[in-house]
Amino acid sequence: MWLMLIVLLPFLGSLCVAFLPSNSKNWEAWLAGLVAAASTVITLCYFPTIASNEVATLRYEWLPTYGLNFSLRMDGFAWLFSLLVSGIGILVVLYARYYLSEKDPIPRFFAFFLAFMGAMLGIVLSGNVIQMALFWELTSLVSFMLIGYWHHRADARRGARMSLIVTATGGLCLLVGLVLMGHVVGSYELSDILSSGDVLREHSWYLAILVLVALGALTKSAQFPFHFWLPRAMAAPTPVSAYLHSATMVKAGVFLLMRFWPVLAGTEAWSYIIGFAGLITLVMGAFVAIFQQDLKGLLAYSTISHLGLITLLLGMGTPLAAVAALFHVLNHATFKASLFMAAGIIDHESGTRDLRQLTGLRKLMPITATLAMVAAAAMAGVPLLNGFLSKEMFFAEAAGFGSGNTWLPTLAVIAGALSVVYSLRFITEVFFGPVPSGELPKTPKEPPRWMRFPIEMLVVLCIVVGTMPGVTVAPALNLAVHHMLGAYTPEYSVQIWHGFNLPLLMSVLAFGFGLVLYFLLQRRYGISRLDKVPLLHRLDGQREFERVLLAVTSFAVRVEEKLTSERLQPQLFWLLLVTLVVGGLTVWRSPIEAVRSPIGFEPMFAVLWIVGGVCAVAAAYQAKHHRLAALILMSATGIVVSLTFALFSAPDLALTQAAVEVVTTVLILLGLRWLPKRLTPDVTGVKATLRDYRRRIRDGLLAVAIGLGMAATTYMVLMSAGPTKLTDFFIQHALPEGGGTNVVNVILVDFRGFDTFGEITVLGVVALTIYALLRRFRPAPESIELPAQRLGDIKNVAPWQLARRGYLAIPAIYFRALMPVLVLLALYFLYRGHNLPGGGFVAGLTLTVALVLQYMVSGTLWIEAKLRIRPHQWLGSGILLALLTGVGAWLFGYPFLTSHTAVVNLPLLGELHLPSAFLFDIGVFALVVGASSLLLIALAHQSLRSHRRHFSGKPPTLRKRGAMRWS
Amino acid sequence: MVDDAPAWLLFIVSLLLILGGVLALTGGVGLLRLSNFYQRTHAPSLPATLGIGCVLIASMLFFSVTSGRFVLHELLITMAVLLSAPVTAMMLNRAAIERDRRQYREDAPVPPGRPIKASPTGERNE
Repeated sequence: MWLMLIVLLPFLGSLCVAFLPSNSKNWEAWLAGLVAAASTVITLCYFPTIASNEVATLRYEWLPTYGLNFSLRMDGFAWLFSLLVSGIGILVVLYARYYLSEKDPIPRFFAFFLAFMGAMLGIVLSGNVIQMALFWELTSLVSFMLIGYWHHRADARRGARMSLIVTATGGLCLLVGLVLMGHVVGSYELSDILSSGDVLREHSWYLAILVLVALGALTKSAQFPFHFWLPRAMAAPTPVSAYLHSATMVKAGVFLLMRFWPVLAGTEAWSYIIGFAGLITLVMGAFVAIFQQDLKGLLAYSTISHLGLITLLLGMGTPLAAVAALFHVLNHATFKASLFMAAGIIDHESGTRDLRQLTGLRKLMPITATLAMVAAAAMAGVPLLNGFLSKEMFFAEAAGFGSGNTWLPTLAVIAGALSVVYSLRFITEVFFGPVPSGELPKTPKEPPRWMRFPIEMLVVLCIVVGTMPGVTVAPALNLAVHHMLGAYTPEYSVQIWHGFNLPLLMSVLAFGFGLVLYFLLQRRYGISRLDKVPLLHRLDGQREFERVLLAVTSFAVRVEEKLTSERLQPQLFWLLLVTLVVGGLTVWRSPIEAVRSPIGFEPMFAVLWIVGGVCAVAAAYQAKHHRLAALILMSATGIVVSLTFALFSAPDLALTQAAVEVVTTVLILLGLRWLPKRLTPDVTGVKATLRDYRRRIRDGLLAVAIGLGMAATTYMVLMSAGPTKLTDFFIQHALPEGGGTNVVNVILVDFRGFDTFGEITVLGVVALTIYALLRRFRPAPESIELPAQRLGDIKNVAPWQLARRGYLAIPAIYFRALMPVLVLLALYFLYRGHNLPGGGFVAGLTLTVALVLQYMVSGTLWIEAKLRIRPHQWLGSGILLALLTGVGAWLFGYPFLTSHTAVVNLPLLGELHLPSAFLFDIGVFALVVGASSLLLIALAHQSLRSHRRHFSGKPPTLRKRGAMRWS
Repeated sequence: MVDDAPAWLLFIVSLLLILGGVLALTGGVGLLRLSNFYQRTHAPSLPATLGIGCVLIASMLFFSVTSGRFVLHELLITMAVLLSAPVTAMMLNRAAIERDRRQYREDAPVPPGRPIKASPTGERNE
């Protein structure tokens, strides 16, 4: 349980901090610090458990069918890392408290900072590899947010994006690798994987797994050739650099390599991939670091180089090298975090990070200068500091690697010498030399007491570990090594003095070369004046990255241009063509057998259908030439369909169809006004070409084919055997189980209630989408002017005035009188729907018709001054009511949407059947009213918006606030 | 149901239905034959009022007698039809007048056979 808290607390803290006011800097820092401290203390409390060689585990079932559990697992190795993450977290919080200025959005910083800490602890403590990959990607994401913290700066945005793309892509590779690994082992549990190293190494997928895991680790730890994101990530605030980009996140990559060292290491492929990546990064990073002019750039490249050193040690594949790697992770975290913080202080106090400007700060900030110099010395590997110990171990391993090789020790010494050079450069150029006299943006001074405190702590650690390794770090290191390497744990000893031996000689050589090289570079070549890295400046990872990114983007754009269209016609063409092909294939492959015989010929029905068919075809023909005529013809077809339903005794369908026809026709009529006028060829002077005719013929053929296909399919379905059992079931069970005699309605609200629920949800979504689209819709310039019908002497008269005394006076009286009748009718349909034709859908549409009439005759302003419709509320409460009705069944232990019929005896009304489905139907009703009136009002306000300037008449007194929101 | 009905009822109902049908047909022919819009607006009023009236009365009579109680639902339909038909006709006429006046005012070529007098019905009495 406590284990869970370590990971959970930072996330909870992150949520809390995010909601704190932005001016309470201290509160946020205190909260973040306390969370970090709590995680540290809990971790420390686990020491006795770990020391007795136990592994603390915690497991919750997550997706047990897939073998996925949420599991936490703390062994000595994870313990050491979680101590590192949470411990340095406290110090960085303290530092950030003083680093951030009042103008920065502080809650955001600490919220993401804590989220990062939680994610990092999650990686370290994960007992399940899939879960580990999840936390892994989470760190990438949060790191993106933190690098882009000052998102008004272009370099921060670019750096954040680059680091996200590189590390998240790596994370994806890692996920694939881990899934493969889990497949090979047969379990995603870390403990199972760790115990099946031999299985993994001998499996044929080993190479694929190795490459994928290596890709994840190398991208995260900024190893060559993915190192380029780290220097760009320096646009982040310095506390972020100190925490993420030196102490923790970049260590996640090497953590991963160490975690899987016992199962993946020891093969040639491992040594080649990991070892060479590390070696190249080590030397190249150190070389490039020398020539940086930006203080943080220098530290970034030195970090890359040190991470390369760790990777190289792991790549060597010997247990002793792995011990050295782990030890160096700790040492690097302490001295590099303190160096970053010192760089932040220098930047903060002097206003610049440019090495060419900074000079002589030793006099102005003596304490910080001393601390930074000690840390830099540790970085260079000066004896009696912690960096020396791990470097000695590295030299020993390099010298002993293979038999009789000389190139690795040579490269190791060169890398050591280079690290001496950049450390020297950092110290001499910033702290020594003449005291600056006014050329810096600010006059440097010592920072606040507590801003320096984290550096002091870390530097003290460097010295203590460097002088007394046996009592300080050795016990923890032993535990971690034991758990990391398991059976491979070697004999080793951490001590300062091993006698005069080869590693010592290499150290001395490295120092000698480094000193000579530094003075050579300084005197002869003047590194302070170089603005690009010699030899390697062509090797620009960023440029390559951006080139690739550009290529991918332009490829995507080209594909999009080729494959998609903004025009409606091609979209419809392809949609219909695919439908035709797929539908045709389906029917062709499994034709439906016609078993029924057609009913006899009915002349009346035939005439009806001839009328309907002619209307439909004429509508299609007129669609291009006369939209209004097409619309009228279409609604005539709709009426024929409705009559057909009535003829075949489906009154529910007929009723609904009629209502739908009315509402759609009116809504389209309102929308037609915004379409541009059709320009005939004699106006434009453009004649249709042969190609146009070809296209029209093609489209026409497709339309006919689709229509005939639909007709044929319908015919086949009607003639097929049909699920008679289903029909019988519905008819038999409608009254006893659904509590209603109207089978159609009972099917809708009870038997297939879940379908209906989905449908009304879709209806609501569609209505909201159209509303959103229309809100931002601005009509074409040529349709903004008043239509011809509104010119003349009624030009300046508002609709409500016309309705009062103008030519609309009589219709207005009639429609207003009709309103209560229609409302009553709607309620009647709703009430009787369960037993007789009617139902929520028809009722909703009827109410909408009532509203449409009022809007049309009196104008928007007048209506909304008298009656405020709130479509959003109707919509929302409708869906909520339907949902609650469904959920209500749970209270009685039944599945979602189970219906229940209550029989009540009321004094005046007699026996009443009140099925719960009725409540559901009321929900449907409210939603339909909301959705259709939302569309109506959105369209109505469209006219209002562009016509407002035409009305001179003062609108009626408006007592609403909501109506204005619309326009 | 039809078999049980008394002969006199069937006779009356049939007569009404035939009358209604003839009136509807007359209206349709009129719509086809009359020469301009204003004349044509008269044609559909005939089936919309008298024609439907006959059918509704027939329906009321038949169902009242056969089911032995007053069936008066049709009165609602009658009300609706009687109210909406004139209002619709009026709106159509006004729209036509408005169109014609506009064409006149803008000096557009006047279609032959159309009355073009500015009608006072379009005026607002403000």
